[in-house]
Amino acid sequence: MVTVWDGRLPHGVADIFGVDAARHIALRRALRDVFTSWAYQEVIPPTFEYADTQAAELSPQLREEMYRFVDRDGRALALRADLTVATARIVGTRLYDQPLPLRLFYVGHVFRHEEPRAGRRREFTQAGIELVGAGSAEADAEVLAIAMTALQRAQLPRFQLNVGHSGWFRALLASVAIGDAAGERLRIAVDRKSSAALAEAADSLPLSEPVRAALLATPGLSGGPEVLQRAASLAPNAEAQEAIARLEQVYARLTHRGLADYVALDLGEVRGMQYYTGIRFEAFAPGLGVPLCTGGRYDGLLAHFGPSLPAVGFALELERLLLALSPYDLPSVTNAPHVVAAAGAPRAAWSLLQAARGRGWRIEEDVLGRDRQALLAHARGRGAQTVWWWDGEDAVQVIAGVAVRRLTLAELARELERAPEPGGSV
Amino acid sequence: MASLTLALPKGRLLGPAVSLLKHLGYDASALGNGSRKLILDDATGALRYVLAKPDDVPVYVEYGVADLGIVGQDVLREREPDVYEPLTLGFGRCRLVLAAPRARSQVNLRLEPVLRIATKYPRLTSAYFQQRGMAVEIIRLSGSVELAPATGLANLLVDVVDTGRTLRENGLVEVETLLRSEATLIANRAAFKLRMTEIGLLVRDMERATRERADGGPRG
Repeated sequence: MVTVWDGRLPHGVADIFGVDAARHIALRRALRDVFTSWAYQEVIPPTFEYADTQAAELSPQLREEMYRFVDRDGRALALRADLTVATARIVGTRLYDQPLPLRLFYVGHVFRHEEPRAGRRREFTQAGIELVGAGSAEADAEVLAIAMTALQRAQLPRFQLNVGHSGWFRALLASVAIGDAAGERLRIAVDRKSSAALAEAADSLPLSEPVRAALLATPGLSGGPEVLQRAASLAPNAEAQEAIARLEQVYARLTHRGLADYVALDLGEVRGMQYYTGIRFEAFAPGLGVPLCTGGRYDGLLAHFGPSLPAVGFALELERLLLALSPYDLPSVTNAPHVVAAAGAPRAAWSLLQAARGRGWRIEEDVLGRDRQALLAHARGRGAQTVWWWDGEDAVQVIAGVAVRRLTLAELARELERAPEPGGSV
Repeated sequence: MASLTLALPKGRLLGPAVSLLKHLGYDASALGNGSRKLILDDATGALRYVLAKPDDVPVYVEYGVADLGIVGQDVLREREPDVYEPLTLGFGRCRLVLAAPRARSQVNLRLEPVLRIATKYPRLTSAYFQQRGMAVEIIRLSGSVELAPATGLANLLVDVVDTGRTLRENGLVEVETLLRSEATLIANRAAFKLRMTEIGLLVRDMERATRERADGGPRG
């Protein structure tokens, strides 16, 4: 049966091409460079796995958002909705007895069936790291420092990392014997920063005065280091004190590295409670209504796949970062050829063309046999600086704008060797 | 520093919202009032107003085009946008109710084989009946929902009521309240963190003004 294709794409996916694709790739490269410069090693997990493997450790919401399909043997498969879980599985089943801590990173696409809304796509790119086997404040600080370095390297002029600790809110809930439903009501009220809903939920529960005061203050516990003093004075039990003490240690290490200006302390974020066990953070940039990057410590995840190991990491969303960068003058990214060369290169020119390409020159060879005028017009349209028009078996006319120079191939080879960078002078 | 953008809802919440802003020394009165202006800069330079349909206010805020917005809980719970809701504003109080024609108001809904319900709030309506284990047919309308039972399009409706007069005039009675609503200040999650000081000040001012007005000042 022949059907007429109507040109549609599914919701939530995008074609990326031209300069946008070049930016995408340049950004991936920059992020890879940052991660490798901190001695992290790349893992490349499979694109799909058994649905059970992933679902076991994902939040209920992510579980619902997985793209599932059935293998020929009837088992449920799923496209990866997250790369942290896959990385944890790799560690738990294969790398757990290697020297610790393990420093791993990934760059790859993930797939989530989300309703289209602000900043959400169904296929998007995550770049992230996992530091496995170190439970220290030093490890927390390293991961935060790498997140900030990555955003700096991406040349994002302004951003803010909101850093909190999941232990704070968990300690408040644990200090009173309340059911899951009541706890969830409190969590939603804090998540919305809704003082009215929070007061209403708190009033309906038998809370001690210190716990009540700490709960009501929680949505507003964000800002500079003074937040930690306030929280310490409010902390109703040892677990809450420990969370604050850990944040103080991490903040001191970031201050030591000159990174504190990017950091806001924030105990009012209560998402991913079932996942995070220690610090948790999100990065924000002006003009972008959604976080660029989320991360934290999840010491419970690895035990699901192998030996129990502490882990801390983050995932950054490339498409959101590109969106945050778009209002600024970006360093020009171009994929235009440096040179358009005429068809019919003489035999002796072949090694010269390959040598130049080997040194990073982008050289497009005409395969349509254009005449000189047509080739010059084409080169202008492609944004190429220079045209090489072959002149006999041993010479070439180098045409740049209106200037025409006739060089022997040997002379051209020498100029190429002297050129400081691809496209330079020739 | 650039001004903060505040999305205001067209319709019944606009008047009280403008009056709350006036209480704080801001002037948004050129919006509405027969004017066609949809974007307006406040003379103080601290605020920029965007006038949108109530349903669209959370959209502007969630995408971060507006930093803040004023909208009813009815819209928030129907759409569940990913925004902060730092303050309820004490005006625009109303209820989302299930209503039936007077003749059917005593009927036990659980024993009805087919329930057809007209509403502008399909998500809330469906969640309400799902929690009770009842399958219902929801007919989504965009206005004049009272018309649906009268014409036989539906046998019940779910809609917001203020005084309940419109229901009575159309021979309908309230059966149950699904939700209580009032105007709420919402904020974009990123803007709330990045511009914490300015937004924090505005929220405190609005909280104070809301309290003063509740204590017997001029009501919006």
